[in-house]
Amino acid sequence: MENEKRENPAAEKSKKPKGGQFYKSVWRWHLYAGVLFAPLLVLLAITGSVYLFKAEIENVLYADYYEVQAQEERVAVSEQLSEVNRLYPDGIVTAYRPGENESRSSEVTVEADGMSMTVFIDPYTGESLGEIDNDDRIMDKIEEIHGELMAGTLGDRIVELAASWAVVLIVTGLFLWFPKKMNGAGGVLFPRLRQGPKIRRRDLHSVPAVWLSAGLLFLIMTGLPWSGFWGTNFQALVTNTGEGYPPSVWIGDAPKSDVETQDIADVPWAAETLDVPLSSVQGMVPLPLDKVVEIAEQEGIHPSYSVFIPQEPEGVYTLSVFPPKAQDEATMHIDQYSGAVLADYRYDNYGVIGKIVAWGITLHKGSQFGLVNQLISLFICLGIVFVAVSGVYLWWKRKPKKGMGAPKAPPLFKTKGFLLLMIVLGLLFPLAGLSMLVVWLFDKLLIQRIPAVKKWLNA
Amino acid sequence: MKGESAMKNIYWPLLAVLALVLLSACSVRSDAADLYKQEAPVHIAVDIPEKVAAGETFTIQAELTQNGEPVDEANFVHFEIRKQDGSIPYPMKEAQAAGNGVYEMQANFRSDGLYFLEVHAGSGDAISNPHYQFIVGELSESELDSLKQGPAPDAGNSGHHH
Repeated sequence: MENEKRENPAAEKSKKPKGGQFYKSVWRWHLYAGVLFAPLLVLLAITGSVYLFKAEIENVLYADYYEVQAQEERVAVSEQLSEVNRLYPDGIVTAYRPGENESRSSEVTVEADGMSMTVFIDPYTGESLGEIDNDDRIMDKIEEIHGELMAGTLGDRIVELAASWAVVLIVTGLFLWFPKKMNGAGGVLFPRLRQGPKIRRRDLHSVPAVWLSAGLLFLIMTGLPWSGFWGTNFQALVTNTGEGYPPSVWIGDAPKSDVETQDIADVPWAAETLDVPLSSVQGMVPLPLDKVVEIAEQEGIHPSYSVFIPQEPEGVYTLSVFPPKAQDEATMHIDQYSGAVLADYRYDNYGVIGKIVAWGITLHKGSQFGLVNQLISLFICLGIVFVAVSGVYLWWKRKPKKGMGAPKAPPLFKTKGFLLLMIVLGLLFPLAGLSMLVVWLFDKLLIQRIPAVKKWLNA
Repeated sequence: MKGESAMKNIYWPLLAVLALVLLSACSVRSDAADLYKQEAPVHIAVDIPEKVAAGETFTIQAELTQNGEPVDEANFVHFEIRKQDGSIPYPMKEAQAAGNGVYEMQANFRSDGLYFLEVHAGSGDAISNPHYQFIVGELSESELDSLKQGPAPDAGNSGHHH
C-alpha cells in the first residue's frame, strides 16, 4: 500500500531518500524540539485548563468572602477603609474594588508586614468578612506556573521559549505530515487505526496534531503578548505606532497629577511638637476615595473595576477593569487632587491591533464567550496533552536502543530551504532564534567533538 | 575548510541581526499618548491668602485653564466651603468671573480653624473639583490631630452634591 510509505521514514533509509535532506532536517528538529519541550507544553496545557475556570473555582473557594446580603444603604468607602486601617494600622492601602453587583463584597488591597492582603468588606455594614494573603491564592499560583513556572523572569523566558518552539513544532510538523501524494484521507485527515501498531502510533500523533494546530497556534499567538520579552517588545512597538493599546493600559506610563509640589498640603508629622509650618499645611489635598467611586459611576465604567490608589504626590487614581468581554475594558487615570479625568481609554480607543490583542486575551482566558469558549479551550488543552504524549510515545517506540533515533543531520548549508525557514522563525521569535544559535554553537563546539555524544545524537 | 567559512559568512550577519533585535528591546515612547484619545482636563489653580484672620474679608480665586488657555466661558464654577469639624456648612456658591480665566468669591469667616474648599468647575466635557485646605487664624488641638491623620478630609462630612 502506498500509504505505508508515510508510516516510518526511518525504516526507509535504505530505500530512496524520502523528501531528501530537507525532510530529514525538518524531522530532526521536530524530534529534538518535541522531546525537549513536550513536558513543558503538557504543563502549560494542564495549568491552562485549570485556569480557564478561575472565576468559577474562586467563586466556590471564596464564597464566604464574596457573598453579602444586599441592603438599602451602603456605608461610605472611607468608612470601609477605616475598618481596614483598624485591622492593619501600619498597612498601606493600594487598591479598592467596589464589587460588581449588590451581593458582592468590596475588596481592599493592603500592604502590611511585607505581605499583600485582600480584605473583604461587607459594603452594607462596613465590617470585614475576612482576609486572604494574596500569596496564598491558589489560582494565582497556577497562573504563576502557567506564565513563569514560578521562577520569575527566567521562568517567563522559558515559557516564551516553549511557546516559540511550539510554533516551530507546528510548522515542522505540518511539513512532516503534508502528504506527498493524495491517497485519500486516511493518515491525513483520519487516523488509520487498523493498519498495524506503527501506522496507528504515527497517525495518532500526526492526525490529531494537524486538527489541533490551528487552535494551538491561536493559543500561542494570543498568549505571547503576555510574555516578558516577546510580549513587552511587541506591545511597545505596536503602542508606538498608534495601533495598539494606549500607553498605560498594558505598558507605558500613566499621566501624572497636574500639580506643583509646593501646592500640595503637607502632612505635618512634626505637629507633635506643635511646631506646624502653617503655610505648608495650606494647599491641595487628595480627593477622598468616595469621590473617585462617584466619578467611576458617572463615567459608566464596568462595575467590576478596581481603583489603584496613588502612592506618590504626583500619582493618579487609576480605574482599571478587564472584564470577561474585551469590549468592556477600561483604564482611566484621575488627577488625585482635582478629580479631573486625565486619560480615559476604553476598548473603542484601542488601535486595531490593540483590539485584536484584547480579544485574543479574553479568548485565551476563555472568558469572552463564557462556557462555550471555556469548553473549546479545554478541548484544545487536552488535545495538546494528547499530542505531546503521543509524540513522545511515538519517538520512544521508534527509537533504537542506542541513540536518539533522529535522522542524520545533513550539513546545514546543503539545505538552504530549511535554513531559510529556521531564520524566518528565528527572527519572528527572537528567543527561539537565539536558542537555535545556542544549539548550533553547542553542536559545533561540543557535540561534534565528543564521539560518543555525536553518535548518540546522530549529529 | 570550505564549509566553516561559508558558515561564518552566513551566520555573522544573522547573529548581528538577532543581537540588534534583542538589544533594541524597545519601550513605549513618552509621547505615545498623543496617538490615542486625548482628554482636555480643566486645570485649576486656587489662590487663597496665606494668612487670614477671623472676621477678615478676603478673596478666594480660582484660575481655570484648559489646553493651556484661560477658560472664560466655563459651564459652571462653584465654590463649596466647610469647616473641618463640620460645625459650619456653607452653601455652594457660584463664583464670579473676573476675566482671564479667573473666578472669584469674597469670603469672611467668623471663627478660627481649618477649612476645606472644594471647587466645582466644568468646561466642555471636562469636570474638575480640586480639594483645597486652608487655615483661618489659629488651629485648635483637634484640628492639629486631624491633620496628623493625613491630608485626606473625611468624606463622611461632605455629603453628596450635584
